[in-house]
Amino acid sequence: MSPCDFNRRQFLKYTGAAGAATMAATLSMDDVAQAASVTPLPVGTPILVIVTLYGGNDGLNTVVPYLDPAYLSNRPDMSLDPAQVLPLSDSLALNGTMTGFQSLWSANKLAIVLGTSYPNPNLSHFSSMAIWQTGSPVEEISSGWIGRYLDAYPRDPFRAIGIDSTLPALFAGNHSVGSMVPIWGLNVPYGSLGTQMGLLADPSKQDTALVADAAGSISDLFALSSVLTPILKTAPPTSASPLAQQLDVVANMITGNVPTRVYSVSLSGFDTHADELSQQNVLVGQLSDAITAFLTQVGTSPRADDVVVMVYSEFGRRVQANGGEGTDHGTSAPVFVAGNRVAGGFYGEQPSLTNLVQGDLAVVVDFRDVYASMLEDVLGTESGQILNNWSTKLPLITSAS
Amino acid sequence: MTAASDRLELSRLVHRFGLGPKPGEYLQLLADGIPQARAKILSRRPDPGLNALVTPPFPNMGQAPSDPTASSAYWTKVYDQSIALGIWWMDRMVLADYPFIERMTWFWHGHWATSISKVSFARPMKIQNDTLRTHALGNFKDMSRALVQDCALIYWLDGEENVAYSPNENLGREFMELFTLGVGNYTQTDVHQAALGFSGYSVDLTAGTVSFDAKMHENTPVSVLGKRQVFDAVSLSDWIVSRPENAKFIARRLWFRFISSTEEPPASLARVFEHRDISLLINTIARNPAMRRPQYSQTKSPVEWFVSACRALRVTPSKFGQAGDLDWLLSSMGQFPFNPPSVGGWPYDEAWLTAAAINYRMSLATNLVQSGHLEPLTSVPPSKMVQAAADWLGVAQWSTRTERALNQAVSDPARLALLALNAPEYLVNA
Repeated sequence: MSPCDFNRRQFLKYTGAAGAATMAATLSMDDVAQAASVTPLPVGTPILVIVTLYGGNDGLNTVVPYLDPAYLSNRPDMSLDPAQVLPLSDSLALNGTMTGFQSLWSANKLAIVLGTSYPNPNLSHFSSMAIWQTGSPVEEISSGWIGRYLDAYPRDPFRAIGIDSTLPALFAGNHSVGSMVPIWGLNVPYGSLGTQMGLLADPSKQDTALVADAAGSISDLFALSSVLTPILKTAPPTSASPLAQQLDVVANMITGNVPTRVYSVSLSGFDTHADELSQQNVLVGQLSDAITAFLTQVGTSPRADDVVVMVYSEFGRRVQANGGEGTDHGTSAPVFVAGNRVAGGFYGEQPSLTNLVQGDLAVVVDFRDVYASMLEDVLGTESGQILNNWSTKLPLITSAS
Repeated sequence: MTAASDRLELSRLVHRFGLGPKPGEYLQLLADGIPQARAKILSRRPDPGLNALVTPPFPNMGQAPSDPTASSAYWTKVYDQSIALGIWWMDRMVLADYPFIERMTWFWHGHWATSISKVSFARPMKIQNDTLRTHALGNFKDMSRALVQDCALIYWLDGEENVAYSPNENLGREFMELFTLGVGNYTQTDVHQAALGFSGYSVDLTAGTVSFDAKMHENTPVSVLGKRQVFDAVSLSDWIVSRPENAKFIARRLWFRFISSTEEPPASLARVFEHRDISLLINTIARNPAMRRPQYSQTKSPVEWFVSACRALRVTPSKFGQAGDLDWLLSSMGQFPFNPPSVGGWPYDEAWLTAAAINYRMSLATNLVQSGHLEPLTSVPPSKMVQAAADWLGVAQWSTRTERALNQAVSDPARLALLALNAPEYLVNA
């Protein structure tokens, strides 16, 4: 059952803000000036959508080496039936629930970067996710890779937007942060309360860094809301999966010309040490359906060629199943990149299931090659300064937009 | 005139080691002076505030019925109980006159982070909560022994699936990484061997009990962190907790959550934890000079913010609106008790300070102010109301920015309270 049976209408009723979403918010003069200065994103500006899969997605049951005897023998109770997977080549197939990805693959719009991780993979969820989100496998640092991309520009709450209420590590820069918007959209207080709240957003020399962040979040709310409220009038259907709901909001922002270049969405629940097969099938099916529907939605807009989606998880899982019909933490796994401008196909190669490194899959591609491609060929920024001089990349993106 | 640094230190004491002041408490403690105030805040004594606490039954729900209608009613009840449990705990946090023990239990909940999203049933989570409270200021060795035999924790980390002939590493890994040693202080081999040491425990989830099956347990010696023997959960926990890395790790975890997520603790702090005495460690932390230095600010998490607001407004969470609405609003901000996002526990500091969170916080604050008691503001003349709000809420000092906003609302105490609860200096404990 769903943990939350509320819809937007009930939310508005409960908060006493009914009507606020359709009523023009009364903003302070500063905010009006700020909103007016927000220019719509020109068509042709590339947009990156980052999808984080939390918990460590089992790569081998996502992109499946379906005929490999070692796959079948290592996973007696939890290998996928070769008759029910979706073959991409004579050795690899998609999980049978991922029909949407199969159609993207056929249209040459899906790149699968095989065996992706980093040197000496860390088997801790938190350390490994921190490495992916900071983009720093060598040195432990506190800023996220998109945060450092934001640092290169003047503070702008629109440049990167995540759909959630708490900030993911990848969005925290050294002096800039991405903004977070809930799937329900934003409501700002209006009238005199709006004016008074607006005063609370002013910077003060007395503020510590965190107090300044708190004031900044209020300021971001007003700036974001002035643009997003008219666009996010319709909440996504509550029957859709959590990822589909988030991507529905992103699609509305993109087609609504919001000046955002990076979006972050996520799907949780991949930490399946036990009874994994049925749970993971549902999740990767949701992933495939949500991204395919999203690309279809933006595909009918003038921005069809602008959008690139990247999907990663903190690690894959062990080749050999454990006793509970699940798998323990592993290493490399496929990264997906999808969109009209993506040069579809396989990158890297499938790591051997018999020639393991300390019992786990070898690392074939360093994820920083994927990040550098996203930074340079999607966001048009030099990757070296963001990825500690990392410069090699993959030809994932065709040059013409 | 009280020194600004006294106001700052006391604000940190009441918000971080307590759960925010009740009306009048901050000024009273300030008058007592810091040493006496600190002793009161860090004390444990019979708590008359808890006389008003009503604890609902969290019975053994037994097997789900197979009949579809009865099954649906069963799962609705299970879900309602999970919300009732979270609200019961927040009631406890709000009603306590001596909330230090609740604050510590709250910390340990985030440390041994177990989620009802997987456990499903309130009863095992309530049992774990009682265990955490029992040991919250006791000895970490005893706490760890109790937790490795805790039904909810074992189920959450797949201990049920962990059997000698086919070990599941989840509990073994997270035990060393997140609960006792910290990443980098063990090898993958240690993880695998520790899993064998923890094997053979199974749970009756709805009852909240654990049993040990010797046949499913690894009964030959395994080697963990250089020691080779036949371990069971208790001896393995004892061995790992006895490692020097444990003292350093736990001292850092407490410092991180009570003092600063960015500034390092003094190197001497781990030595204080030599005998794994939690009370000694937290008392030492509360007396650190960092408590008086400006850069050690910390953001209140959504539950900490909500509980402190309820305490100030004398609102009891279980009597405040619909349980489902409260669950939804707090969950939308990213935090409801017993439902941490992962075994790593709750986010901290910047992560909570988003535009998205403000919507939900404003909604909660609006309703809180409507249901709460505003005498601390209504009993003073408008010219004194802004300062009265700081004293009421335990804020060391409003910035001139916030003073300007609050001054616009002195004719309307409810409005002033709403703004004060959403002011940067209240969201962040400066």
